[in-house]
Amino acid sequence: MWEFWVRSLNASTIFTVAALGEIIGQRAGILNVGVEGVMLFGATISFMVAKTTGSYLLGFLAGIAVGALIGLLHAFFSITLGGDQVVNGMGIWILGFGLTAYIGYPFTGPLGLPRIPTIAGLSPFFIFSVLLAVLMWFFLFKTNMGLKLRSVGENPSVAEVSGINVARTRYLSVIFSGMLMGLAGSIYALDYNPVWNYNFLMGWGFIALALVFFAMWNPLILLGGSILFGVLWQVSLNPEALLPNVFSRYIWRTFPFVITIAVLVMMSTRWFSSRWGAAKPEALGLPYEKD
Amino acid sequence: MTSFYPVKCPHRRQGSVIEWLIPMTAEIKHGDIVLEARGITKRYPGLVANDNIDFEIRAGEIHAILGENGAGKTTLMSILFGLVRADEGEIHVFGKKVNFRSPLDAIDLGIGMVHQSRKLISAHSVLENILLGHPQAGSILNFKKAAEEVGHLCDRYGYKLDLNARVWHLSEGEKQMVEILKALYRGAKILIMDEPTSALAPPETKKLLKTIQIMTRDELAIVPFITHKLPIVLSISQRVTVLRRGKVVARLNTADVTEQRLAVEMVGREVIFELERDVVEKGKPILQVENLSAHDEKGIHSVKDISFSVHEGEIFGIAGVSGNGQQTLAEVLAGLRKAAGGRVLLDGLDVTQTSSLDRWKKGIGYIPSEQRAVGSIGDFSLVENMLMSYYYDDAFSKWGFIDFQKTRRFTEELIAEYGVATPNADVNARNLSGGNLQKLILARVLSRKPRLIIANLPTQGLDVGAMEFVQNKLLEARKSGAGILLISEDLDEVMALSDRVAPMYEGEFMGILPGETADRETVGAWMAGLKQKAVEQ
Amino acid sequence: MKLAGYTLKFEKKENFTGVEAAVISVLAILFALFLVGIIFLQAGVDPAMGYYEIFSYAFLNPFGLPLTINRAIFLLLCTCAFIVPMRAGLWNIGMAGQLYLGALSAFAVAFAFGARSDAELPAGVVLPLMVLGSAVGGAAAGAIPGLLKGKFNTNEIVVTMMLNFIMFWLVSHMIKEGGPFMGSGGEGEGYRLPASLQPQPNLGVPFTFWFAIGLTVLLHVLFAKTRIGYQIRAFGLNPAAARYAGVSPFKISLLVFILGGLIAGLAGYHYFGTVPGLFKIPKNYGDFGDLAFYGIICGLISQGNPLAAIPLAFLFGGLTSGGRFVQGKLQLGFGIDYAMLGVLMIILVAFQFFFRYRIVLKKDKER
Repeated sequence: MWEFWVRSLNASTIFTVAALGEIIGQRAGILNVGVEGVMLFGATISFMVAKTTGSYLLGFLAGIAVGALIGLLHAFFSITLGGDQVVNGMGIWILGFGLTAYIGYPFTGPLGLPRIPTIAGLSPFFIFSVLLAVLMWFFLFKTNMGLKLRSVGENPSVAEVSGINVARTRYLSVIFSGMLMGLAGSIYALDYNPVWNYNFLMGWGFIALALVFFAMWNPLILLGGSILFGVLWQVSLNPEALLPNVFSRYIWRTFPFVITIAVLVMMSTRWFSSRWGAAKPEALGLPYEKD
Repeated sequence: MTSFYPVKCPHRRQGSVIEWLIPMTAEIKHGDIVLEARGITKRYPGLVANDNIDFEIRAGEIHAILGENGAGKTTLMSILFGLVRADEGEIHVFGKKVNFRSPLDAIDLGIGMVHQSRKLISAHSVLENILLGHPQAGSILNFKKAAEEVGHLCDRYGYKLDLNARVWHLSEGEKQMVEILKALYRGAKILIMDEPTSALAPPETKKLLKTIQIMTRDELAIVPFITHKLPIVLSISQRVTVLRRGKVVARLNTADVTEQRLAVEMVGREVIFELERDVVEKGKPILQVENLSAHDEKGIHSVKDISFSVHEGEIFGIAGVSGNGQQTLAEVLAGLRKAAGGRVLLDGLDVTQTSSLDRWKKGIGYIPSEQRAVGSIGDFSLVENMLMSYYYDDAFSKWGFIDFQKTRRFTEELIAEYGVATPNADVNARNLSGGNLQKLILARVLSRKPRLIIANLPTQGLDVGAMEFVQNKLLEARKSGAGILLISEDLDEVMALSDRVAPMYEGEFMGILPGETADRETVGAWMAGLKQKAVEQ
Repeated sequence: MKLAGYTLKFEKKENFTGVEAAVISVLAILFALFLVGIIFLQAGVDPAMGYYEIFSYAFLNPFGLPLTINRAIFLLLCTCAFIVPMRAGLWNIGMAGQLYLGALSAFAVAFAFGARSDAELPAGVVLPLMVLGSAVGGAAAGAIPGLLKGKFNTNEIVVTMMLNFIMFWLVSHMIKEGGPFMGSGGEGEGYRLPASLQPQPNLGVPFTFWFAIGLTVLLHVLFAKTRIGYQIRAFGLNPAAARYAGVSPFKISLLVFILGGLIAGLAGYHYFGTVPGLFKIPKNYGDFGDLAFYGIICGLISQGNPLAAIPLAFLFGGLTSGGRFVQGKLQLGFGIDYAMLGVLMIILVAFQFFFRYRIVLKKDKER
């Protein structure tokens, strides 16, 4: 049983880190539907670097750096060029999916380094992800920078009038968001499952994206959601051992997505919005032009 | 006692201009000139928005700036707050000449602005909004200290406000309080207020007036910009500057004037145009509205229990300052918004629950106030725009296929008839000028020969030629027996066109006056709220 | 930006002509192919040689051409599935999920007639019903985001994305590990259609080719000539004005997604039901879901014009089939076709900018 929980928490780590990245971008008003693409870049590059140099540290740094670079690309398309963020995100996803399949192929196979030490099976990154979520919550809701960042995502013109540089804030948050996604990919490729295979994330980036909506843009709810989705994923790997004869493993895998749709629908009802307001950052996905 | 609120103006940027401009310890005495504008002129293409405007504002005084829509108030306000630069003239704040590069400079100099469209972030709490952009908020926000300090301000001015509430939960009056608190917490000494009472319910208005009177005791200078609600101007302000067409037409001490005098100064007396109005026999009622109530998109109850009827061959004018429920009323009648109560009858048939398409078909023609956002589709050609009122018409389509050739011929005929200036009918609507676009919309709606025309601000933003054209077309439709509901903010237009006039104020008709006997001053006063609701005549 | 006495400025475009759009699109594709050429170079292959091999295999080779045609049909249907909601201003990212459900429905129809038992079945009855089934299945998958959008204004992008994964796993559930549609071999594939339900291509093209072309032309007519098409376009360009003109947002949202899903469903039937050598839902069915994303690229390049999508579908169909081929022949690394997909998409995204802005070069006035 311990094994099951540990694996669930380890899986949740990757969701948490990637989704935290997405949260910080979306809180500043920039939607990146290409989480999966950025994670694939992070995973592939970190895997390649770690395998070549034999250094985990360099691997992680490379994963974070490539994430920042892709984040910068998304920021440039979405903020400077003012393009449609969904199209840009799709572009980043398909670029990541396509290019990493090609450049990573020669590295197919196991990493071949000693595994990163665990605490009774629990990855140290899980603890890191919990701390990160709490820190992120503190940053967003208790600090001046966080307040400014949220304001930019809610109403950029009001933020601008209050003396905040909207473009700069958005650039910084999208780059940072890319770094976290790249890191999440690196954790997957170097720690969770250190075997490279083409398109090996199988939609984990999209689960992370779904989690952001599920968590209503709150890092602490996200933490709970990640663990739930991590458990669901783990159940789906071997359902017969835990809940025999309920659903096939594939049906279990649809659960995070079904739950996300249900949460989305609930959030769009009048009942919800009259109680909680639009949890969604108001300016999410909208390009901002100074007038 | 001239010490200010307990927080001693600590919120200026360190080392900013203000440090040497006004020593913080200097006390402002009652009646000191705190802001002085000299010869402010601002020109826009084809328009002088502000023409050599002078005035001064004193500490501890409420100085109202009064004027109709288009009199230049907004421009003046934007110049004082650093949003727009004047072409000529200078502004002195606390005796020093200033040059605003942005509103931030104005804020640093102690000028606060309370906007009409609330500049608040609705998902944030009150406190977060107040702290946003505050130069001394610190990198980790000290909500406790801020709450204490803002709490002192609240106590001083008698505000009761949950500082942790989300702004979207608040009423309009409370949102305004937040804006005022935000300005004061940043150390504002001069408070510019844009239409401070326009969105407020009467009890909230009362409260606001009380608090700003308390503020003047702290030697704050308050500058409300007001279009209507003359009683308010009289009851609170010490001085009034009246603007008309970009110029200052009067500087008055409120103690010396009456409401009627103010109304005359504001509206002016000259009649701009004369229209030929034939005598048309009033026929049977087309539209009957019974006890209609409705909410606007923000959920505000903006049409309250209205009853009236429009007859064949009649122009029924609704006069009112924008935001008094006319837009909601027009949308409800056109079927674009649900009524909250009451009935709408067209030719005796109840159409309250029917769709807008159904009402088009039954003979209601709606000319919306927003030509580009609602009345037309910019990326559609003129032919396709014409189809907006004809796509469902079997005369223009067969088995679901639209006859574009016929539509084109029809469009070309109408373009010629209405004199729409365009190279051809394939031009996209966004390339037409405002006047030509309105002619096209008019052609589209009127060519259906509607029984009832709802014309919502049909001449707003048009030049004089196009304006006259539109007005004459409405008169023609009247002559041919249509009933017309005209909604206008232009008093001259309503008076010149209408057979009956209903001044609308805060979602209600103040009365219904026959066009021939109504005089401008009465209608102007009623739509400004200077009358208790009258019994229908 | 200043350059030697000239000022470079971006001006917002109000509208652009069809020729302008075509030029931008062609430039975008050329630029992307240029970048892929660099990948060729890096892999030690002469780009000219590489492209020659790709295009000659795709369009001249007797093995390559049918593959290209099959992919083009598939891409054309996916593009149409994207275009219909696009014209109403809505995003259908869910072609993959819709085509999975369409394919499952088609195979469910055959299954209901006992196709697993390899019986001789009346093709004249079962085949049309399979086509119909795929259309209904796809439409049902499309109806979900349409309904949620119309009723609750739920973001259709996220919903269609989530549905892609739900449908993906649903297919696995049906064809793998004892699922009802599992093939006899037990390698995690769907069952194979019996010979009687394997429509043979005519002159090298399956009958779905005519479906796809016909549907594209029909869509063109729908948008250009009909009342419904007019309402969809009006709603896409200005929802407030469309509402003013009496168009119901609910009906339009539902309609475009049902129509889009229906077409995507047919794409699912086409690939798994009519392509020789397949006639089953294969293990790697996910690749075809990925391929469906070319529909977004084609839809964006064609700016929503169904007729323009026809040549684009053939171009990209050829690039993907030829790309796979040269990978083996020229010993390029695996995934060159995926890399091409990625580069094309991102360059297209960058070129979207030129649909909205034009570059203006102005000579500075002498001071």
